[in-house]
Amino acid sequence: MLESKELTKVFGSKTAVDHVNLKLEKGHVYAMLGPNGSGKTTWMKMAAGLIKPTSGEVLFEGAPVSIESRKYVAYMSTEPYFYAWMTVRDVGKYYADFFEDFSYDRYQELLRHMELTEDMKTKTLSSGMMAKLKIAVTMARDAKVYMLDEPFNGIDLLARDEIRASILQYATENKLLLMSSHLVEEMEAVADRAVFIKEGKLVENIDLETMRDEQGVSMADRYRQIYGHTEG
Amino acid sequence: MFKLMKYEFRKTWITKLILLGVTAVAEAVYLFGLYTEKEGPLSVSVMLLTMLAVFGVLVIGLESVLTLHRDMNTKQSYMLFMTPNSGYQILGAKVLECGLSILITGAFYFALGAMDITLLFAKSGQLNQLWDMIQNVISQFTINGRPLTINAEIMAALTFSLLTGWIGIVTMAYLADVVSAALLNGKKYNGLLSFAVFLALTWLTSWATGKITAGITASTTMLVVNGLIDLGFAVIMYIVTAQIMERKLSV
Repeated sequence: MLESKELTKVFGSKTAVDHVNLKLEKGHVYAMLGPNGSGKTTWMKMAAGLIKPTSGEVLFEGAPVSIESRKYVAYMSTEPYFYAWMTVRDVGKYYADFFEDFSYDRYQELLRHMELTEDMKTKTLSSGMMAKLKIAVTMARDAKVYMLDEPFNGIDLLARDEIRASILQYATENKLLLMSSHLVEEMEAVADRAVFIKEGKLVENIDLETMRDEQGVSMADRYRQIYGHTEG
Repeated sequence: MFKLMKYEFRKTWITKLILLGVTAVAEAVYLFGLYTEKEGPLSVSVMLLTMLAVFGVLVIGLESVLTLHRDMNTKQSYMLFMTPNSGYQILGAKVLECGLSILITGAFYFALGAMDITLLFAKSGQLNQLWDMIQNVISQFTINGRPLTINAEIMAALTFSLLTGWIGIVTMAYLADVVSAALLNGKKYNGLLSFAVFLALTWLTSWATGKITAGITASTTMLVVNGLIDLGFAVIMYIVTAQIMERKLSV
């Protein structure tokens, strides 16, 4: 469904993504893992069409990502990106104006679930509330692909459980859900596949159950094996 | 496209509201000065209204350029560029919203000025004398060595020429800013280079306009042709800018 071929992005003298060949299929929840600066966000932004690759390409359903693919790919950035003048209601209306798959009813349901009200101003939201709003507006789309960059950033432990449930509610067998996070244990509970990226290169794209059965290691163990020396 | 234009307007409406508010205050002072026959408030308000008419249009164009800059260089860029809209649509909405705002603002101040002058004539009862005075002032300006006369035709041509000229400059600024964000991003002297691009574009278009209109002597024709050339350049700038956005811009 979503595939990168020899995907490379160079910023000045730094290669953020280095010839990554990665194929992601629908019906799976992927955890994209790696330390800061490993290239996860850059890969996602290229898949969302926000960043142009230096070389290589990203394909959505066999065709290069384009204006058309943005109709089916819902991307949530880790940074807040709403206009400062917006209220929570304005954010929903904006998405309703531009995305045919956006459901305002679902948005309102998610807002209730996340204890946000439509009259709140985005510029006054705490980081946790902002994270909830980003998730609500992204998951209110009936997209084919959801890419959530660090969705649990700034969210306390109790709220995390609720948000995780909200996200998984919409991750059906026809959808592809890709999440990046530093919270490896959190991701282990939701993902069925893991994509490990290190220094811009793909280390592996692995089925977690197979990994546990065949190698006898958890996702967190594998994370330590791959990145242990760099984080040490 | 209409939805994009709606949000472009939403991003800049506070400035327009401030302009409108200050204009309303200046107009109230003008009317107060006119009917109480106090010269102080009258002259201050005339000066203020004239400045607002000139700078109001300029501010709208400049704010549009600044908004494009923010839309490419801050995280709010995702709001625009993750939507299923092409660079042509995104930039087109900006050009149209800005162009229409300039046109409406220009027409508003023109109508306000005409109304204020009419009120002044009516109040002073010296209509013909004042009109002759205005004609005399206008005739001091020349186009190709010929004195400028004021009539409906030339006013329409002048408005058209000024509007398209300013839209042309705004589209050049768009191009320079997109070159900066898409092609020079991260490079040393980025800002200076993009400003040089802007200066080069204004010089080039001015030079080309001079060449094309060299043989025209009639004032109205000259203004209309100048306006059409500016419009043509604006279209070229728009196409080139949108192409760069489509192919090279990363946000």
